[in-house]
Amino acid sequence: MSQQCIFARELQFNIQGKLILDINTLSIKHGERIAIVGHNGAGKSTLIKLFTGFMSCSSGNLNVLDRKMDTFLSSEALRQLRKEIGQVLQGLHLVARLTAIDNILIGSLGRLSGWKSLAGIYPQEEIELARQALHAVGMNLNAETRADKLSGGEKQRVAIARMLMQKPRLILADEPTAALDPGAAADICELLVKSAQDATLITVVHNTALLPVLAQRVIGLKAGRIAFDVPITDVNEQRLQSLYDLDPIGT
Amino acid sequence: MQLTDRSAREANSARKNGFIALTITYFLLVAACLGTLVAENEISMGRNPFENLIKTAHDFIRPSFVDVWFGNPRLEYRSDDGRILRVENRQEVETRHIEAMARATWTTIRIATLGSLLAALLALPLAILSAGNLGAPKLLSLVAKGLLDISRSIHTLVFGLIIVGIIGLGPTAGIFAIAFHSMGTYGKLFAESIEALDMGAIDAVRSVGATPEQVFSSAVLPAVLPQFVSSHLYVWEFNIRDSTILGIIGAGGLGQLITEAISLFQWGRLSTVLIIVFLLVTSFDMLSRRIRESLL
Repeated sequence: MSQQCIFARELQFNIQGKLILDINTLSIKHGERIAIVGHNGAGKSTLIKLFTGFMSCSSGNLNVLDRKMDTFLSSEALRQLRKEIGQVLQGLHLVARLTAIDNILIGSLGRLSGWKSLAGIYPQEEIELARQALHAVGMNLNAETRADKLSGGEKQRVAIARMLMQKPRLILADEPTAALDPGAAADICELLVKSAQDATLITVVHNTALLPVLAQRVIGLKAGRIAFDVPITDVNEQRLQSLYDLDPIGT
Repeated sequence: MQLTDRSAREANSARKNGFIALTITYFLLVAACLGTLVAENEISMGRNPFENLIKTAHDFIRPSFVDVWFGNPRLEYRSDDGRILRVENRQEVETRHIEAMARATWTTIRIATLGSLLAALLALPLAILSAGNLGAPKLLSLVAKGLLDISRSIHTLVFGLIIVGIIGLGPTAGIFAIAFHSMGTYGKLFAESIEALDMGAIDAVRSVGATPEQVFSSAVLPAVLPQFVSSHLYVWEFNIRDSTILGIIGAGGLGQLITEAISLFQWGRLSTVLIIVFLLVTSFDMLSRRIRESLL
């Protein structure tokens, strides 16, 4: 196993001739905690999608967890990769009609096969793991509560528990707090960092106040290019200001 | 900010004007419909509506089934010179008729049930093709949408008449008539439930490394199955009502008894049939509503 968790060189991604991402080099080591910041449309979410193979880059090299992403990856290889990547998304996406515990158990689907996994029958040890995951994210509610009855913060906790079920080596969180109130956002960030003790954590984040909690290293994306890539100690108002300055009207 | 305010206000007043124009158009249309009918002298209540109403109501008030208990056991039909032509036990006759009604009811239920199921099965692939979010090939999706639109725009009775011409009288024609018309309704309802799928949740399940089958069973199915079942019950219930009329064109069932009763001016029997239809539809409606509510 190499030291690199993610390595990209001369990575380009375009949609219909429009350059969305243009990254010269990017290297992320195992166990790092990274935050990606940037304005809307800077290419943050696209980058995350390239890491998981939901999109593939137009040219250049990208290695994720020792797999070459720029060649054609079979769907089986992609599934093997995704098993090792835990994702937490901004949209609080749970399967609404399933219970909290069933949503968490979905995290184990990557290592299960056969008709039982299709019928929603999970092995006892997985159910035990799911209970532990639910406990680990600090949920004191009934595991049988349906997902659409949960609050935003609870949904995101369940989503993190689902991710914990995967025992991921790499955790990608795309604006995990976007749909949450400030209090819940801080809790979720702390939980994410706690959950990522044995993994690499890459978070896309808008709220710069959360940076010190989430990251040791901050990557600023501006119009698809890396504007800065510095330790958290070097991040200041000025740097962030220049990053968001693209929009002349401001907010 | 001022600029956007003004354009918002303009858009708002344009919307208001559009609505007023639509309202005026609507009332003009109503006036045209009513005016031309009056001009053609087609608005009339017939010669003696009250007398007819009272006569019909009088017959309706005594549904034929009460004769099973209270009918004249020895009804004598006499010729003008007083000879007895025939003696009829009304109680026996109506009992037999009630049995015929039970059989007809069962036929109606069978037509509605099988027709609805066939319609749902035909509609499912078309719905999958026509749903906007599943990315079916454009041409196929257009064809599927076209088929569903055609099927929805042709009435069950029209389908029935065409099919009776092809395969002859009987419940089979009724089943196909129901199926071909309901297919359009099912297709639209199914496609809407598919379009309402939370694609984010599906991506979330894909992103744990689940196989396509696992994604289907743990993210797609839990979301659409209750909707499908609910749509099915809804259309099925509608078809129970719709198939009572199919007998008129020779598909059998309660509709046939309705036609018979009307052509023989047996308002008492018509009354009985309508009571059965009412009970059938209401009880099915109650049952299906309860099931649909529990699925939410």
